[in-house]
Amino acid sequence: MADVRLIKITKRFGSVAACSDVDLVIADGEFVTLLGPSGCGKTTTLNIIAGLEEATEGEVRIGDKVVNDLGPFERDVAMVFQNYALYPHMTVAENIGFTLRLRKRPKQEIAERVGKVADTLELGQLLHRLPRELSGGQQQRVALGRALIREPAVFLFDEPFSNLDAALRVRMRGEIKELHQRLGVTSVFVTHDQEEAMSISDRVAIMRLGRVEQVGTPEEVYARPRSTYVARFVGSPQMDILAGSFESVDGRTRYRVGAVSFPVPESVAAAAAGREVDVGIRSEHISLGDEGPSATVRVVQPLGPMTYVTVAWDGGLLTARLPGISRLEAGQTVSVGLAPEHLLLFERESGLLIGQGESR
Amino acid sequence: MRRRLSTWGIRFALLAFMILALGPIVWGLITSFTPTSALTQTPPDLSLESFTLDNYVDVLVSRGNLPDALFDSAVVATLTASLSLVLGSAAAYALARLKVPGSNKILLAVLATQMFPGIVIAIPLFIVYSQFRPLGYSLIDTHLGLSLTYLSFTLVVVIWILKGFFESIPPQLERAAAVDGASTFQTFRLVVLPISLPVLFATGVFAFIEAWNEFFFAIILTRVDVKTVPIAIAEFSGQYRTLYGEMLAAAVLASIPVVLLAIIFRRFIVKGFVEGAVKG
Repeated sequence: MADVRLIKITKRFGSVAACSDVDLVIADGEFVTLLGPSGCGKTTTLNIIAGLEEATEGEVRIGDKVVNDLGPFERDVAMVFQNYALYPHMTVAENIGFTLRLRKRPKQEIAERVGKVADTLELGQLLHRLPRELSGGQQQRVALGRALIREPAVFLFDEPFSNLDAALRVRMRGEIKELHQRLGVTSVFVTHDQEEAMSISDRVAIMRLGRVEQVGTPEEVYARPRSTYVARFVGSPQMDILAGSFESVDGRTRYRVGAVSFPVPESVAAAAAGREVDVGIRSEHISLGDEGPSATVRVVQPLGPMTYVTVAWDGGLLTARLPGISRLEAGQTVSVGLAPEHLLLFERESGLLIGQGESR
Repeated sequence: MRRRLSTWGIRFALLAFMILALGPIVWGLITSFTPTSALTQTPPDLSLESFTLDNYVDVLVSRGNLPDALFDSAVVATLTASLSLVLGSAAAYALARLKVPGSNKILLAVLATQMFPGIVIAIPLFIVYSQFRPLGYSLIDTHLGLSLTYLSFTLVVVIWILKGFFESIPPQLERAAAVDGASTFQTFRLVVLPISLPVLFATGVFAFIEAWNEFFFAIILTRVDVKTVPIAIAEFSGQYRTLYGEMLAAAVLASIPVVLLAIIFRRFIVKGFVEGAVKG
């Protein structure tokens, strides 16, 4: 077991930088997810940790060793690939045991260890099948088995669930999390699915254009996103970000968005300090009731445990999350309230978080 | 109406093409079962009464030459196919996957060797082979010498086909092998080659057939010790007399291995092998 340290990692392909100045410390036994849209450099970063790609600049440390010049195998990492990358001509048992075969372990030992891993992953019945005779979920398990048998210091996952259907994905997510809790091996996971990232990680690193935008626990990145980019990327539905301006009405501060203005605490305007700011709010902190400026219900999406209600007014739009099944209907007029302590202030020019609302 | 006409047009064209393609083969088959005397009379006697297996008996037993030639051809063709695969697959993999400086130029150069007509290099090659004597042996009139010559054109095709195929193998497979601890050579031998078997087989068959059928270099570079089938067949045509029956019987016999290979090769090609390697 080991921690992983990326120190000022930069990778350039020609003149294009796939990642630049990536600093990231993954503690021993921690589960960290690199999250971001395609092309943000997350897979490149993972490949650099794996040793499949060489960093142009910077240092990769695993445990107390600088591993820049080591191959993937010497780094003692195991990787699960997006497309499973099972060897098509080998049976499940041969796929899982390949690494031991390369190390010239005795047949007996290989069989035993493959059997143990297969039991863990419930692959016992399938050991003699070829990959093409397996379902997507089973193939995924074999890929996992191939990593497990290594008993590596670090697990690397490159979007391992992206080819599975939604239900299976949720199940595998649970299985990986359980596996991690049981084995406690340092893990780095790459995904573009924020829900996946939030649900399995100890910490999430959100990447943008080759840089790490924010690293934090799921709670942190959800509740205090460092920028509008993170705010929009994390959470579903997306955080609503209103582009309005402060005004003073009867001595009280309000935030005007199009035809409507919301009352906001004094401290919020103070934090803005004269800068132009956008105001962000999560859907669960929006109330639709009797108090506050009015808006028209546009769309109602009941999901069972909750209902998304989109309301609009001249110049603005918000999606609220209401518990249970809502009785609201499209076309109705409602009053919109924003929980002041959950308002997030982003500087408009930079998109960075500059303050948070407080309770009145 | 118009549509029906065009359908008939296509049928007619196909029929004409079929006659053109199969006609000589059928004619050859018939000839091989007919005594040369019946063939050379006017008009030729192709009736069933003249059916005979004498030509086959002749070429296989009495006239002695063909069995040796079949053996020589088999040696040369097998050697050519094996060398093509060993050298070609390694070269193709390097060009497809390893960072070889100037790999594009190398590929072009490989292709450029095909721009010289055989006749241009035949004589220089003959001189080189007869002068160059490693260990005191000349390459003239040897299986190896002929195979090396054939390599010069089979390798080109083998390299290009295999390079294309290797490039189509998902790179994750090789990355997975690297993470599992395989060296580049182990990855090539244990992962890449096994999943390339159908293509290797197909290109091997191609090289085999090329070497099996080749006539021009064979007649220049071999004399007595090595005599391949095409040369043996040509020898049925003498200055004063051509033994058509025997010649065609030999030709039919010589075609059998090639036809068999082609049939197996077709089955391999049809078999999708890489399926299941990578999903998505």
